[in-house]
Amino acid sequence: MSANEMTVEALLRAHAPHAPESLRERVLALEPKKRRTGLPSRRLVLVALPAAVAIAVAAAVVNGIVDSGSSPRSVADQRAVVQQPNLELGKVPATHGSATGPPAYGSTTVPSTWRSATVAGGPARLKAAAPATSGSRLQHTDASIQVRVPDTESLGEATTRATRIATSLGGYAQSVDYQTPQQGGGVSTIELRVPSQNVKAALTRLAGLGTLVSQQLSVDDLEQRLQTQSEQIAQLRRRVAALHEALRDSSLPEGQRVLLQIRLAESKRALAQRINARKGTISAGATARISLVIGTEKSIAPVPHPRGRVGRLLHSAVGFLALEGIIALYVLIVVSPLALVAGLLWAWRRRSIDRLLAT
Amino acid sequence: MTIEGPGAVSEDVNAASPTLDAPRLASARPGFAEVVAKELDAVYRYLVYLTGDRSAAEDLAAETFEKAFRSWRRFDPRRGSPRTWLCRIARSVAVDWFRAETRRRKREETYAREVSPIEELGDGLPPELEEALRELSPAEREVVALRVLLELDGPSAARVLGISQTACSTRLSRALRRLEEGMSDVRE
Repeated sequence: MSANEMTVEALLRAHAPHAPESLRERVLALEPKKRRTGLPSRRLVLVALPAAVAIAVAAAVVNGIVDSGSSPRSVADQRAVVQQPNLELGKVPATHGSATGPPAYGSTTVPSTWRSATVAGGPARLKAAAPATSGSRLQHTDASIQVRVPDTESLGEATTRATRIATSLGGYAQSVDYQTPQQGGGVSTIELRVPSQNVKAALTRLAGLGTLVSQQLSVDDLEQRLQTQSEQIAQLRRRVAALHEALRDSSLPEGQRVLLQIRLAESKRALAQRINARKGTISAGATARISLVIGTEKSIAPVPHPRGRVGRLLHSAVGFLALEGIIALYVLIVVSPLALVAGLLWAWRRRSIDRLLAT
Repeated sequence: MTIEGPGAVSEDVNAASPTLDAPRLASARPGFAEVVAKELDAVYRYLVYLTGDRSAAEDLAAETFEKAFRSWRRFDPRRGSPRTWLCRIARSVAVDWFRAETRRRKREETYAREVSPIEELGDGLPPELEEALRELSPAEREVVALRVLLELDGPSAARVLGISQTACSTRLSRALRRLEEGMSDVRE
């Protein structure tokens, strides 16, 4: 700073204006006005932000603990996924009892697909899981099993044995698709039909063909459909009988007779259709469909070993955190345009102040 | 509850004034009455230089302290001196005034050319310096007020102005050079 500048500064300081006494009195006489509710201070934000992050992480950990504690999920009414390595055939979860429940003939509350289960687990320890089907009810069972064998030689052998198992249980192999490509490996896809009462035995024996990789099983309750069809057949039979009775009347006018004969023919056709449909329903209930896939090590990838409790906890917590992250990202996407506008407004305001004071 | 006169600025006065004591957060921070007594002149000077209008500066200073009183609870002495804090409030108040003033002038220009009253910026300032000071823009007068009259340090002044320290120094140098030039012209 030059000497001249110093002089200027000294002059400015020496002749600085003083606040008039009236202003001093005015300021000192200030009355507090009603306080407005202000925005949270920066300090509060500094506390709230880490707290929110801590809560999010804690929620994820709690979710992980809760989920890992209930790993073998119970079977739901309609559909469930079972990941229980040691689940024995026929030993179904307790909830199954409620699903089989009392017979509900004519009831509309009985679901058509009342139970389904999927098993996927460690290769060696995995056992077949099957529902305890009700003997008194007509049900259609649909199952699919994936079994792994060590090599193509075993694949051929297992395919033959699978067909034999179906035959020995009173069923048959509807189709066999056997493929052993040149580059190694091989897969055999077999569609089997076995009597419903032998499903459990079939599944157990088929699971023994190799290492059970996965199994899916669903049971459709056909009782409701059968009941409806039976009622329709009975109704149609009554109508046919009534029409026959009416046509026996000799005094019936010709025109009306023709009309009744047409109605009779229609009723008989409908009756035949319903009877066929009921046969189909009974047939579906009598036989179970099993889709068996036998593959070699190369063609069927091994199912990863089920996680331990800590693994499940971590997996669940990470999943939960990912969900929170997605939500946060979504919020960010929504908020960022507003933040951008706010930033632009701030910049514009600052420029306008500079312009205002520059003139 | 009102604050007593300027002579009553002491710890005792603060203790006797519950409305002013209430916002006091830490024992280290001064009482509001104490701050008023100490900083009123500084704020007033700053506003006189910024607006170039003594009566406006008076009103704005009152408004500044009113705002400061309301938000006294939020004042954190660790983040800056009371003077810096008050100057920031004063600047915000003054900017609003400038905006209103600009609008008013635009309205009045439609009907008549305004002749602004000439008021002294300083108390008994040499006329040539007064003139040179008036030639500066409000932004330049503002930095002179903050750095020279109020003796704020570079970082504090820059914080009040919302600009970098370099920009603040540049602005101050330019303003002082212009003042010096104005003085030189008269001397010659």
